[in-house]
Amino acid sequence: MNPVEFGLAAAVAVGLAGTVAALLVPRPARPGVTGACVAVAGALGLTAGIAAVTGVTWSVHLPAVLPLAGVDLAVDGLSGVFLAVAGAVAVAAGIYGIGYARHGLDGRAVQAAFPMFVLSLLLVPAAGGVGTFGLCWELMALSSLILVLAEHRRRPAVASAGLWYAVMTHLGFVAILVGLLVAAGPADGGSFAAIRAAAPGLPPAVAGLAFMACLVGFGSKAGIVPLHAWLPRAHPEAPSHVSALMSAAMVNLGVYGVVRVGIDLLGGGPRWWWLLTLAVGAVSAVYGILQAVVAGDLKRLLGHSTTENMGLVLVGVGACGLFTVDGEAVLAALALTAALLHVIGHAAFKTLLFLSAGSVLHATGTRDLDALGGLRARMPATTAAFGLGALAASALPPGTAFVSEWLLLQSLVHGLPAAGVVASIVLPLGVAAVALTAGLAVATFVKAFGVGFLARPRGSGAAGARESPPTMLAGMALAAAACVGLAIAPMLVLPALAQVAGTLTRTGPPVSGAVTIELDGVAGAMSPVLLAAALVAGCVVVVVLVRVSAARPARRETRLWDCGGGPLTERMQYTATSFAEPLQRVFDNVLQPVQDIEVTHHRESQYLVEAVAYRRRVPDRIERRLYEPVLAAVAAWGRAGRRLATGSVHLYLGFGFAVLCGAFVMLVVTR
Amino acid sequence: MGIEMSGLTVQLLDIAAGALLLTAVLVVWRRELSVILRVFALQGVALAGLVAVLASAQRSVELGLVALGLLVLRGVVLPLLVRRSLAGAGPVRRETTPMLNVAASLLAAAALTLLALAVSVPLVALDPSPATRAVPVAVAVVLIGLMVMVTRRHAVSQVVGFLLMDNGITAVAFLTTAGIGLLVEAGIALDVLLVAGVLHVLTGRIRETFGDTDLSALRELHD
Repeated sequence: MNPVEFGLAAAVAVGLAGTVAALLVPRPARPGVTGACVAVAGALGLTAGIAAVTGVTWSVHLPAVLPLAGVDLAVDGLSGVFLAVAGAVAVAAGIYGIGYARHGLDGRAVQAAFPMFVLSLLLVPAAGGVGTFGLCWELMALSSLILVLAEHRRRPAVASAGLWYAVMTHLGFVAILVGLLVAAGPADGGSFAAIRAAAPGLPPAVAGLAFMACLVGFGSKAGIVPLHAWLPRAHPEAPSHVSALMSAAMVNLGVYGVVRVGIDLLGGGPRWWWLLTLAVGAVSAVYGILQAVVAGDLKRLLGHSTTENMGLVLVGVGACGLFTVDGEAVLAALALTAALLHVIGHAAFKTLLFLSAGSVLHATGTRDLDALGGLRARMPATTAAFGLGALAASALPPGTAFVSEWLLLQSLVHGLPAAGVVASIVLPLGVAAVALTAGLAVATFVKAFGVGFLARPRGSGAAGARESPPTMLAGMALAAAACVGLAIAPMLVLPALAQVAGTLTRTGPPVSGAVTIELDGVAGAMSPVLLAAALVAGCVVVVVLVRVSAARPARRETRLWDCGGGPLTERMQYTATSFAEPLQRVFDNVLQPVQDIEVTHHRESQYLVEAVAYRRRVPDRIERRLYEPVLAAVAAWGRAGRRLATGSVHLYLGFGFAVLCGAFVMLVVTR
Repeated sequence: MGIEMSGLTVQLLDIAAGALLLTAVLVVWRRELSVILRVFALQGVALAGLVAVLASAQRSVELGLVALGLLVLRGVVLPLLVRRSLAGAGPVRRETTPMLNVAASLLAAAALTLLALAVSVPLVALDPSPATRAVPVAVAVVLIGLMVMVTRRHAVSQVVGFLLMDNGITAVAFLTTAGIGLLVEAGIALDVLLVAGVLHVLTGRIRETFGDTDLSALRELHD
């Protein structure tokens, strides 16, 4: 039996069993059963994905399952990458969810939606036709919506986040459907194979419309600026293992859609498609990380960072398309390899970060960085996990993101000599955006880790924190192992990814080597293992030298110098807000923060200050400029419509009567 | 329809169609609710007669059974059901102040009949036969039923308006097609029965809650 077929079929069976079990099993056993089913389904999906990446393809047409269109499934290397990522994230999230769900998340609907969501995540990349794709996509949207709304009784913000998510994901779905249907119009049937065969005959304007609609729809799922508004709302309000699944597996499918439609189905396209993709990717990357660096909410920060990383992936995809148009197949394959590797790396570290953020939320009851701190002693495992995730997320060696961003930069830099006029302007800008993003990401994660976990507790929640249960730690450990593996030995996955990218861009794999990553076709080599080893060795040498050379004075116990102002308190530590303040100043024109300083003077004298209140908010400018006018217009339209609805039954009936008679009169008159 | 009809059959068909329209106009004209119900029962009989004439013209046993079913449902069961909800609907037995007074309603009914005639011309032109020539009458009944729903205040007359419309729709269906099948008709009949039942319960509830069945008093339905 085909391993892909076996893996997918078994995953579907186990996932459905999990959904049914969640509905039947009594409450105490429910999280365990569904969590186990999710993990097993994820593992099966992972094996199917790995098999597909290594070259096993599988496709099937089941006409009886769905009326009219039937179900088309087709798994190739590209599907395999996203299938494997979704499966792997599901394994970690499923195990983690067993412990996490014990706190009010063991309701029937939520637990039943969880396996369903994972199942849809596995089926979307496996879909091989417009009908099946739309069905799975919608299933994914609905099941994730139920999960986002899981805690709606506890916080009113959840309902608003759910509304944003529901509206934006459905508008995005409309755009995707329009794009796919336009592309499928002249094709013989709705299967992807038929669309691929008919694509060369599409007029350029029609193909452009299809691509644009798909870019809008998939971009909104990937959280690309300016369609990102739902992401920093829904990610923080969802339960953390769901956030991990959404951020590490679901948003990837937006990228999958762009690659599948743009590069595979429509077979490339004119230059402007890819310039646009590259531009929105670069803008999203910079804007996302800028919002993250000033965010004070731990999970919101991670959500903004998702926008950033998806932006970087789209830069890679855009560069791939651009190089394909210019005939630089090797560079195109390299850029796509970098993008796919970044998808995998991002999935690994974002799973780890969201799971450990959930562990913090679970223990302290707050996501506000300004109220955290001092968790190192109380939650050592979680602190280690988050620290590892933060290192992986910042593009520094030996981090996970470093390898993929290095590959991305290599492709952009090597593209310069061959580039035309437009590309020779765009590519350096892309390099600058990636570099700026990398720098800001370091600042962001230093802030998140340093303020959130180190020093002394800034709030009562953090002061009373306890380490999370073993199942949650096990989920985090799996994600951590994936991060370390991808950082030290990316060559485990890189050749397979290069093969997939090479097949898509109709050339050979652009990367080779075992220990050292060697670029084929362009000059460049790098070894993450040796780099990491050198770093560790360097650190050891420095520590030893310091220990040996520094003369150690006699130890004295004494009070800390406090300028005579009384003992130092926790409030005097750096907070997330103060840490980001210099950066906020630098990017003042872009961010336009709203600040408010209130000084209360002493009653006796104007010269004595009693209290200083400082308030800062960084409203999303794009949201204010772009969404608020639209929302206001819709609201005005709604108010106008309300005047028609007076509550009179007769009036309502009269509307129908008048319209019917009007239509008849029109028929009579115009005929 | 392509079925030859004898002169007598055509005349019977025209009489049935005429009775259908006449009863609809009578519903608009009269204000006493019990009278309206009696007229409505008559219309059910006329509809059953129409289908029976079609059945005899087509020599179809199935259509004959449908006619029998229609007679029972629309001539007996539905009027009885509505009469029961009228009995429970309180002291008001007259449509006292309709939104449109009787004279204007009658004029409007005439205008709607003209409109139905004008709009059905292409339908008749598709296949001119005695049966399709009666289609405008059925369309007029649909429009008059809708008008009754829009202009009457009493819950029971609203129900009658709805059922009038449904009679019209059924008549259109039988006149334009060569019979719509026993199963489909049975399904529709069941639907209508269900709707009438729901409306019956609803009228009772409205009366229990508000002590009245004047629908124009219900102004809190929005938002």
